Amino acid sequence: MKALGLLLIAALGLNGSLGVDRNNFKTCDQSGFCKRLRGLKPEKSQYALNVDSVFVHGNVLSAEVVTVDYEGETKNVLWRYALRLSALADSSFRVEMDEADPLYPRYRTQIALEGEPKADGIKLVSNENGKLTLANNQGHRVVITTEPLKIEFVDHSGEVSVVLNENSQLLVEPLRARRERRDDDDEQGNAVEVEEEGTWGENFKGHHDSKPRGNEAVSLDVSFPGANHVYGIPEHTDNFFLKTTTSSEPYRLYNLDVFEYELDSPMAIYGAVPVLYSHSAKRSAGVFWHNSAETWVDIVNYSEGNVVSSLVNFVTGGQKQRVDARFMSESGIVDIFVLMGDRPADVFRQYTALTGVAPIPPKFSLAYHQSRWNYNDENDLRSVDEGFDEHDIPADTLWLDIEYTDKKKYFTWDVEKFRHPAEMVANLTAKGRKLVVIIDPHIKREAGYFVHEDCTERGYYVKNKDGNDYEGWCWPGSSSYPDFFNPEVTKYYVERYKFENFPGTSKDVHIWNDMNEPSVFNGPEITMPKDCRHWKPPQDGQDGLAAYWEHRHVHNEYGQWYIQATHQGMLARTDGKYRPFILTRSTFAGTQRYAAVWTGDNAAEWGFLQASVPMCISLAAAGISFCGSDVGGFFKYPEAELMTRWYQAGAYQAFFRAHSHIETKRREPWLYDATTTSRIRDAVRRRYALLDFWYTLFYEHMVDGLPVTRPLFQEFPKEEATFTIDNQYLLGDKLLIRPVLEQGVSSVKVYLPGKEASTLWYDVDSYQAVAANGWMNLDVTITKIPVYQRGGTIVPRKERIRRASSLMANDPYTLVVALDSNNTAHGTIYIDDGETFDYRTNKYIYASFHYEPAGMTYKFKNVDANYPTRSWVERIVIAGIKNAPKAARLVQGGKTTPLQMTLHRGNDVLVIRKPGASMAKPWEIQFTY
Amino acid sequence: MIYSAWLRQLHSLTIVIFTFIISAQTDVPRPRGVSLSKASLYSPTKDFTCFDGTSTIPFSYVNDDYCDCFDGSDEPGTAACLNGVFHCTNAGHRPQNIPSSRVNDGICDCCDGTDEYSTPGTCSNICEELGKEARAKAQQLADLHKAGNHIRLELIEKGNKKRSEMAEQLSQLEKDKTEAEKIKIEKEAIKNELEAKENEALKVYRDAEEKDRQRRAELARQQEEKEASEQFARFDSNSDGILTTDEIKVVNVFDKNKDGEVDQDEILHFFGDKDSVNKEDFMSTTWPILKPLLMADQGMFRPAGDEEKGEETEADEEEDAQRVEDTEDLGGDDENIDDAPHEETDEHDVDPDNARTYDDETQKLIDEATEARRQLTDSERTIREIDSNIRTFQQNLEKDYGLQQEYATLDGQCLEYEDKEYIYKLCLFQKVTQKSKNGGMEVGLGDWGEWAGEEGKKYSVMKYTNGIACWNGPNRMTTVHINCGLESKLTSVTEPFRCEYKIELTTPAACDDSNLSQQTSHDEL
Repeated sequence: MKALGLLLIAALGLNGSLGVDRNNFKTCDQSGFCKRLRGLKPEKSQYALNVDSVFVHGNVLSAEVVTVDYEGETKNVLWRYALRLSALADSSFRVEMDEADPLYPRYRTQIALEGEPKADGIKLVSNENGKLTLANNQGHRVVITTEPLKIEFVDHSGEVSVVLNENSQLLVEPLRARRERRDDDDEQGNAVEVEEEGTWGENFKGHHDSKPRGNEAVSLDVSFPGANHVYGIPEHTDNFFLKTTTSSEPYRLYNLDVFEYELDSPMAIYGAVPVLYSHSAKRSAGVFWHNSAETWVDIVNYSEGNVVSSLVNFVTGGQKQRVDARFMSESGIVDIFVLMGDRPADVFRQYTALTGVAPIPPKFSLAYHQSRWNYNDENDLRSVDEGFDEHDIPADTLWLDIEYTDKKKYFTWDVEKFRHPAEMVANLTAKGRKLVVIIDPHIKREAGYFVHEDCTERGYYVKNKDGNDYEGWCWPGSSSYPDFFNPEVTKYYVERYKFENFPGTSKDVHIWNDMNEPSVFNGPEITMPKDCRHWKPPQDGQDGLAAYWEHRHVHNEYGQWYIQATHQGMLARTDGKYRPFILTRSTFAGTQRYAAVWTGDNAAEWGFLQASVPMCISLAAAGISFCGSDVGGFFKYPEAELMTRWYQAGAYQAFFRAHSHIETKRREPWLYDATTTSRIRDAVRRRYALLDFWYTLFYEHMVDGLPVTRPLFQEFPKEEATFTIDNQYLLGDKLLIRPVLEQGVSSVKVYLPGKEASTLWYDVDSYQAVAANGWMNLDVTITKIPVYQRGGTIVPRKERIRRASSLMANDPYTLVVALDSNNTAHGTIYIDDGETFDYRTNKYIYASFHYEPAGMTYKFKNVDANYPTRSWVERIVIAGIKNAPKAARLVQGGKTTPLQMTLHRGNDVLVIRKPGASMAKPWEIQFTY
Repeated sequence: MIYSAWLRQLHSLTIVIFTFIISAQTDVPRPRGVSLSKASLYSPTKDFTCFDGTSTIPFSYVNDDYCDCFDGSDEPGTAACLNGVFHCTNAGHRPQNIPSSRVNDGICDCCDGTDEYSTPGTCSNICEELGKEARAKAQQLADLHKAGNHIRLELIEKGNKKRSEMAEQLSQLEKDKTEAEKIKIEKEAIKNELEAKENEALKVYRDAEEKDRQRRAELARQQEEKEASEQFARFDSNSDGILTTDEIKVVNVFDKNKDGEVDQDEILHFFGDKDSVNKEDFMSTTWPILKPLLMADQGMFRPAGDEEKGEETEADEEEDAQRVEDTEDLGGDDENIDDAPHEETDEHDVDPDNARTYDDETQKLIDEATEARRQLTDSERTIREIDSNIRTFQQNLEKDYGLQQEYATLDGQCLEYEDKEYIYKLCLFQKVTQKSKNGGMEVGLGDWGEWAGEEGKKYSVMKYTNGIACWNGPNRMTTVHINCGLESKLTSVTEPFRCEYKIELTTPAACDDSNLSQQTSHDEL
């Protein structure tokens, strides 16, 4: 929904230019560890592996690593560490390094991974000349140079694709006990060790961070030899491809509620997914930095012009391509996954193999959502609902923002404005629609509010540095934050979602979790102080500092613990029968398992529309395909052209929701002039026509872990021009989308990839084929949305657009067959009930279409699974047909039916009229010439 | 893109190669979803031509659940065409046209249930019930209008009477104005004459004042010189007529920043780039910057704002300066002569301070002129008042009080509505306001703007515009939706759009039994 700041908006004026107040947020220099570590550029790493300690067992090599002081004559061991290198399934490795015997346990991020990664095997191939060579079962090698420590990962072709500690920036700051002040006083003169300033406390903008454990940062550099681009580490407003940061701030990962966030910036915003991919025409690789603390990432790309002149000549002789990255985190251990690729799709899959996939969402959630902060009351909501019918615009879901609650007390209703929530919901569901209501993590501290009283009595809140309930300021005023790290708290929260505990809700009421960075209006950087305390399982011998985690350790993970609790709650309320839909603003590695994501509080400006595309592609590559931006922009008011273009773009982004700020002018589609309304209607209808295609893509994502919305280079990894294209993308491997994101243009540049393979692209508006030939100019009118179907694909559509997607379940399909240069095409379709988990018991259809000149088939990919759909095929459109058959007949269930066809010679389109084939059973169409 | 739209683009290129399957249609008076009025366009014995004329298809293709016509006319009874229309007869109630997309979607849209024919039993026919209800409602409404119409007729009568009264009053006012203007001209002449005499008499006094002012200024200058000279002598410790840096270094007052010593910066400040100053230079450059410091040192100096309160020691001088200013004020009053209240206060302020007395004869002239000025102002005020009244009447007469002046007597009538938080007040043809129950200012939600009903129903909606601007938003405005009721009252106030308020008003002025019969005649009962 929104950042803090009714008052701020008032001060700035909605018509004035928006802008982040950068002073609220730290630069690297203001973040103690970032400043400390960034300045550290040792010529030689102090870290060395003790060869005698090497032990290889199963899929793990373990060894002792020590830091060595090279200053003196003799080598002094300074500190001891434990290193583990694990070989994992699907061409991945994991490297962990912790202190061998830390003063207290260091935090290990808990819920990014979906369970324990699947093991591969590892064996020691050789151990000579200070080099260990290891091999996994998939033909990759790892070469460990013991002193100074360096780890090289070698791909199938024998080339090094990833190197750790190439630039000697491996660092684990050992935990130390704080010297008692009294001791210092006694022997002040004798104090030998001088603590660096800030070790035991830092200040920022009047906030003091007590840092009870002192410095505990970790750092590691990663080199990608041969790479010329890196991507990932969302969420930022920058391009999809990352840029060299030597003369700018590093990219920051620290989940923050940034009011009026700025564009083209490496600043941290709501989400943090520390996965980084490298790519060149030759190969892709990746690393996943498994850490939930504040993290900064520096990038040096030696193929960028300015970097070449200053650095690369010195380092590589000016010819080689390489990208270096460096991760710096405030706490935790060094824990990094290396993804060997070697195609983009491989690394994307390898990442989701670790952190999980998005389970197929309920179908309605892929349709159109209408939201506003706020629909005032029941009547308002009803009139918006009716507005869609009056203007014949489909919509599946209406949303209620924070004002529906009784004074921002979640799980309650404002009894004046929403007196009959159950009836209100029933009115929506009677038309096949749903409701989403917001539930935020902050709990109003008000006597008599049951959640507050329960949490207070049972000690469920996050504690402040002194161990008392932490109080911050958020929407309700004084608030506290449940500590979801405590399973008891999660259990309690899960109960809250039960229908009897949240009256008015039903299985058709879904949840929006906002402000879960967490947002704290009066906190440092608008979030929770880092020295707040989180629950840790009690363990013998662990007391004092060892008895809790600090917020600094878990910050980027907090929002995910929260949505995990909501997810459990929504499953529990229907005993696991129905799929929940959750929207979250805060993200972390693994968020895709629970929720969809939107890009937060954007503004009605062309720049934010443009940014929505790379922001969502970047999240999709990081596992989170279910992404969208507030259509129309949250702050300010979009004029007709911007609104039209935003709907057209949103119709092809996974999460499609219009939303707006409470202070802005109302903007439901029919509040524009009739022409604009009809253009918006057209855009929304396009979404509904493709809904089954989207649904199929999400099913396939669940199975193969690949992004639904893809960068071009995923499908065309050798085509250099695609590496920097982030204003167009692919839906699956079938549709290419180039939304018009520019004001007042009459043409746009579109890149059609695949020239080498003679790829054809069919304009979906005209079925006119265009041969791939890189860049081209395309004339566009205000109604044009450039979308191309790749030759060789079959896309299912539904042309009967109804009020809501659930009402279209039994409607017939139109199959669009776009032929490749061999006159063949393939496609898939997934059908189920759209809302339950029955697909887990084989109640679904996952089928493939194959077209070749002799005929077309529809076959179930999993013959054990079936679903009694009443849908049928009303039309098959075959585009790019050069030699049309004379006759066609349908064969299904032993029956043969002659079919009628119409040939449109103008652009080689053959339309099979009403085949009438049932989608519940396989069928075949035979052609005769 | 939706297929049918695409089809439209390519139609001219189409070659049809289908095989005909004509199944004879028997005894179908009109296809499903077709209204009686369009039944003749669907003839089972002929091929069907789409309404837009773009295509002709076998009649068997009508309602075969496949869209052949761009305009959807071949599928009046199915959901096959995106922009098609389904007609339900709804016998017993009003017939209805619904979008084809609502056919067989599991939701009952037609009261006769005909839109959900694919799953019989989904919808029952509730048209009789609804029709009965609707007719009862219509009857109620008709009764209400009938009853209200009597009151409305009274309102019309009163309204017309009010208007003619206002017209009469207006013409009376115009007469009054002519009279008042005559008086004003007379008064003006008298005033001019008396003022001329007054000015002549006062000239003597003004000249004397000027001389007095000059004399005092000279005195002040001499005083200043004397003081400077004394101070110079004080600092010039060796009395050589030259003030040197050494001499001032021992004088506290030159220590401007009060750090205990007179440093180079301070010397520079007082002496410029010279090492020493003679008496002449001291008087012209050093003294003016030194004096305030000296006074501050002696506790005499006050910041500028306090100055006019004066100091005991300088009392004479200060008072003089004050007096000069006051005299100037008096002279300037001529320019503000229209501003009567201001003039009065000024005179009142000045008189006691101004100890000046005039000889009897002059005083008499002043008094006469003052009286003449007052009388002129009075006559001008009268004209302004009449003008203002005229404008009000003209505006009211120009106001549109409805076709038959039925709203005329409601002008200025205020109605209130309370909700949980606010009290709303609508003063008809004037303004709308909102006041929080928790106190605070009354907020204007708009001033009378215009009638804004749709074509043919102009007098069903009033618009009040240009209210207080919203916090970072537009100016508030209010629409008042008017329905027939036996008394004038507000039945609801909402804010459907930000800063745009909606009031529901019932009033007998909106009752009219003459147009009710038209409304019901549309029903196909």
